[in-house]
Amino acid sequence: MTDAAGLAATFAPEIVVLAAALLVFLLDVLGVRRLEAVGGVAVAGSGLAFLLVLADLGFAPLAAIRTIGAGAINVAPAAGASPLYFVSSFGLVFQALFLAAAFFVGLASLSRDPHEPGAPIFYGLLSLATLGMLLVALASDLIFLLLAIEITSLATYLLVGYTRRGLRPLEAAMKFYIIGAVSSTLSFFGASLLFGAYGTTDLFRLAAVAGSVGYPVLALLGYGFLVAGLAFKTTLVPFHAWAVDVYDGAPTDVSAFLAGGSKKVGVFAFFLVFLGPVLFVHPGGPGNPFSGAPFDLGPITQLLLGVLAVLTMTVGNVLALLQKEMKRLLAYSSISQAGYMLLGIAVGSPASLAGATFQVLTHVLSKGGAFLVVAGVAGLGVGPLVDDWRGLGSRRPLTSVAFALMLLSLAGVPLTIGFASKFVLFSAVVDARGYFVWLAVAGLLNSALSVFYYARILKVVFLQDPAPAGAVVGGSEPAELPAGGLGYGRAAAIAIATVAIVALGVYPQFALGPIQAAASHFYALGA
Amino acid sequence: MTAGLSEFGFLALSAALLAVGLFGVLTRRNFVLLLIAIEIAMNAAILNFVYFAGFAPTAASGLDGQATAVVLIGFAATEVAVGLAIVLALNRARGSINVAEATELKL
Amino acid sequence: MSLAEAAFVLLALVAVVTALAALLVRELVHTIMWVAIFFVDLALIYFLLNATFLGVLQLGVYAGAVTVLLLFGIMVTRKRIFSREAATGLGAGPVALALLAFLFVLTAVGELPQGESVPIAYAPAALSAALFSTYGPWVLLLGLTMLTSVSGAIYLVREGRE
Repeated sequence: MTDAAGLAATFAPEIVVLAAALLVFLLDVLGVRRLEAVGGVAVAGSGLAFLLVLADLGFAPLAAIRTIGAGAINVAPAAGASPLYFVSSFGLVFQALFLAAAFFVGLASLSRDPHEPGAPIFYGLLSLATLGMLLVALASDLIFLLLAIEITSLATYLLVGYTRRGLRPLEAAMKFYIIGAVSSTLSFFGASLLFGAYGTTDLFRLAAVAGSVGYPVLALLGYGFLVAGLAFKTTLVPFHAWAVDVYDGAPTDVSAFLAGGSKKVGVFAFFLVFLGPVLFVHPGGPGNPFSGAPFDLGPITQLLLGVLAVLTMTVGNVLALLQKEMKRLLAYSSISQAGYMLLGIAVGSPASLAGATFQVLTHVLSKGGAFLVVAGVAGLGVGPLVDDWRGLGSRRPLTSVAFALMLLSLAGVPLTIGFASKFVLFSAVVDARGYFVWLAVAGLLNSALSVFYYARILKVVFLQDPAPAGAVVGGSEPAELPAGGLGYGRAAAIAIATVAIVALGVYPQFALGPIQAAASHFYALGA
Repeated sequence: MTAGLSEFGFLALSAALLAVGLFGVLTRRNFVLLLIAIEIAMNAAILNFVYFAGFAPTAASGLDGQATAVVLIGFAATEVAVGLAIVLALNRARGSINVAEATELKL
Repeated sequence: MSLAEAAFVLLALVAVVTALAALLVRELVHTIMWVAIFFVDLALIYFLLNATFLGVLQLGVYAGAVTVLLLFGIMVTRKRIFSREAATGLGAGPVALALLAFLFVLTAVGELPQGESVPIAYAPAALSAALFSTYGPWVLLLGLTMLTSVSGAIYLVREGRE
């Protein structure tokens, strides 16, 4: 399909999101800056795009709006042809996750102070960042992938500082920008070395020849720089230090988007770029194409990613244990979660890819939701420290229960989606090969470790008495919003996330089925 | 032949430029200098694409590299523009653009 | 060593020296000068590589636009940054890390062909045709990054309130 109609059908979700962004900017220029108008456009755009993606995934009730036929999905580009992008069901799953994150954040932000300026730019940049994420999920070419990541990155640097007031967000934006620019430079440098080694940046051709022809040292260096560049975006230890300051300094709704949304771009990029190298692991198996090569790219990559995953989980969890501020604690816990997701590619089996993707879904709902709760609770006059949340359970029982469910899901307690995803992930890691059991052990130990700080928060919220009157940070209580002080939009976003956490915890197959199917298609493409 | 060039020399140059850029990123504290350091490293990546294209085994794959270099030069300029926008906003809010003075957040 | 090779060695030395000078000199205005020379020097290297179009682009975008942008940034914010705070100490750690990166990449040098050869020259017409057919998606993505940066940057630096 090269005609305009065919292209429009292929890119329908992206076109919808881009149109939403342009409409927001147009409204801004025309002087329409009402929160409901610009926010409504952006939220409707991500919602519609979400439905389109679900339809393309084959969700039966939406068959009427399906734009890409089943026959056009999961077809690798023909050798020699270089369309630079392709539609895979795995990419569509990730698109759905990205759009869900954008939808939640957009919906919750409808409850912001309507007199505060900056609504158009917030929603415009949010839509553009989402657009970049959608394009990432379509990439079949390294340069396409990195450029799409950069759309998201540029939009999120600006989102962090969009309030223009106060030093903290702008300083966070500056730090985010520097780190992001360095990491993208490292990624592009890695891509250039890979181009030198193999004469192509097509991911399919790279996967087919990884480590076998060309210049192995150059290839190894190229993948090494790519690991470093993408690890910054995915907040892997030791490239994580920026994340906490940025999540802490950014407006909290933006933090929700960074942790729940744009960070997953890095996770997907890891899957896409490193599945090829990782799959070349047939220890002692027949037909190992690398037996003659000076470097066995597969085991090296797997070991490197495995070590990074374990380091990330452990350091993130240990530092989270030491935090006293709620946002910083959630940020460190978000770092450790990236480690779990990386396990999926370090092991590199269809089941582990599915488990990691399911873990991404958990993280979108639970961590994104938790940041949205934190933003709402800050509006109630609660301070930044965990201890400031004392007794919130009696003051705001519904909000507190939702927050508790999100934390329990992150900790992996049964009957929440977090348990289901960790179960799928760790059993896949154990199943993969005996050699990887240590990764599963490290993951389980880390899960146990994380329970400590989640339990501490729950104890503060539910078991401790409220702070004595007069100790409320900020002095007087701010004007009360409807819906339990959160505002309708935020309350709705939190409610939907919470219901999804429990529903998918009880009946995980609803999400797991499509994810597993998509992951095995993706695996088959890479093999 | 007088126009011959050896490929490995270019790799050595781009390695050196990357090292200079990394060094600058790690030691400089002025935002504009950081931008320059990042651009030096970015130029190392672009240079890689250009000479790998020049010495490519086939003209088709070489065109790949040249096209990438064109796009990356455009992207680098875009990135600098965003960086400067952040600098200007921060400068207005604070009156200084030294990263070391980012006191509110621990660096 | 051919004539071109000798020219390359000279240009490469100039590139490294100017890059270092740009980062190390104390006056930020001098920094801009060194950076401009660095960008022009790289453009000359592209001409040497028979990449004419890229050389021109390097001159226009980097030596022209980016340099002016940087100069502009310095001028607008110069009140505080003409002083010595522009340059700080070297630090053993960063130098070691940079050297390590250099040596890492250098390990691949031995892998490349050691002989001299003439770089392929591409017709700018072929390149531009490819940019709007085969590589169209890249150009589209570049356009989207520009849309993002322009819309956000204008808002960030816009004076006044809504």
